[in-house]
Amino acid sequence: MRPLTDDETKVLFEKLAKYIGRNIVHLIDRPDEPYCFRLQKDRVYYVREEIMRKATAVGRRNLVALGVCFGKFTKTGKFRLHITALSYLAQYAKYKVWIKPNGEMPFLYGNHVVKAHIGRVTEDIPEHQGVVVLNMADVPLGFGVSARSTVDMRKVDPTGITVFHQADNGEYLREEDTLF
Amino acid sequence: MDVSGILEEHKSRLRPVQVDRLIPVDHDLGSLAGFDINMLNDAALQTDTDAREAYLQSLSREGTQLLVNELFSLPTVVDDDSVYAALPKRTTVLPREKPVPKEKEMTRWEKFAKIKGIQKRKRGAMVFDEAQGEWRPRFGFKGVNNDGQQPWLLEVPQNADQYQDQYQVRREEKKERIAKNMRRQQRNTEESAAKDVGLSPYKMRKRDLQSALVLSKGSTASMGRFDAEIKGEPRVKGLRKKRSPLVGAAGAEKSKSMDILNRVAKGDTSSTVLNVRKAQRAINNSKRAAGSSGGRDGGNKRKGSGKR
Repeated sequence: MRPLTDDETKVLFEKLAKYIGRNIVHLIDRPDEPYCFRLQKDRVYYVREEIMRKATAVGRRNLVALGVCFGKFTKTGKFRLHITALSYLAQYAKYKVWIKPNGEMPFLYGNHVVKAHIGRVTEDIPEHQGVVVLNMADVPLGFGVSARSTVDMRKVDPTGITVFHQADNGEYLREEDTLF
Repeated sequence: MDVSGILEEHKSRLRPVQVDRLIPVDHDLGSLAGFDINMLNDAALQTDTDAREAYLQSLSREGTQLLVNELFSLPTVVDDDSVYAALPKRTTVLPREKPVPKEKEMTRWEKFAKIKGIQKRKRGAMVFDEAQGEWRPRFGFKGVNNDGQQPWLLEVPQNADQYQDQYQVRREEKKERIAKNMRRQQRNTEESAAKDVGLSPYKMRKRDLQSALVLSKGSTASMGRFDAEIKGEPRVKGLRKKRSPLVGAAGAEKSKSMDILNRVAKGDTSSTVLNVRKAQRAINNSKRAAGSSGGRDGGNKRKGSGKR
């Protein structure tokens, strides 16, 4: 376990900013308790500082996980968000897409969101921005990248892809062995 | 005309020259200083700022007044157009700025001479040679100490090899003596150098040897990459990446990440770590571009002059 280097922090924030924009401030500067980002075996964890202090007693090899896993750094130095970060993304997300009940299962099986399944969309989503996908009962299901801007979404035919799938709650089952 | 009223008024505007102190104030006029050991007024010091300032100001004014009074009581010298008071010698002892110099370490010979009680005495460079009846140098060219160095006959010692050149033996012995003295001289300089650094001569020698070893190992064509490792070879410390502390000071990490966040928000995608080689290449490229464009300009100029 170690703090992120400056470059790693930058890569992480650039990725997070796609989903929550300036709301990253609320992750860093929390009114309740200090939290921090820590790297452990290429995974980035968002963890309460008190727990992090306790975890310093555990060796790198023995430490399995701590706090909330936000994602991992690939070998090429890019950052990939994991589904475990969804609760924070959904809380601060700038752009959201609500999908109809008939679209929930296809999305949870790892498919892209097609126009026909969309129930509601936040206004002014630009193209290729991170969006959080929710069902109509406001339960976050996963997140993805907008294939088109909100304006263009209206023009697409019903089978056209509107949100590229990035991660969904089904991964807790599908990727159970590699996720953590 | 009665001017007493005016005088009174003038006097009241000035502050009194006489200052009363319970304990008389010490003065060191040589350094224009006064030492007042009277108690300060605690009550005045602990009041609000204005009153305290006024009290401190009056205190310093009175101290200065006392000093000036003392100065005016000194004997004066009248010059053409001015009056001087000669200051007495300063009485306050100030501490030295620099530490007292260390006593010089005795050399090996000096220590030996002290034990033996050998005293240094002056010897003239020239010696009177009674046999020849003239003054000759003590050593060196035509020196006295050269007498008998090249005897015309040398006895072969009883147990020596009969066919050995005894002159050669003498020459070699002298060479050895010189070499031994040189070694001792070397040792003495090494010891004194070590003492200056504050290490034991043994440690110093070890350190020097190790650094020499590291240098020589890195001096092969492959920078020592394929050298066989020597037993007990010193480990060379390389550059270590500086990592931020695992558990840093409170708020330090937060402010750092806020900085990065601000940069990310501004769309600054530049790397935080400068890639020196890349930067160097970029500079070189821009220089080359500037150089080539400059050359083209030169060509144009030449063309222009030709037309003219």
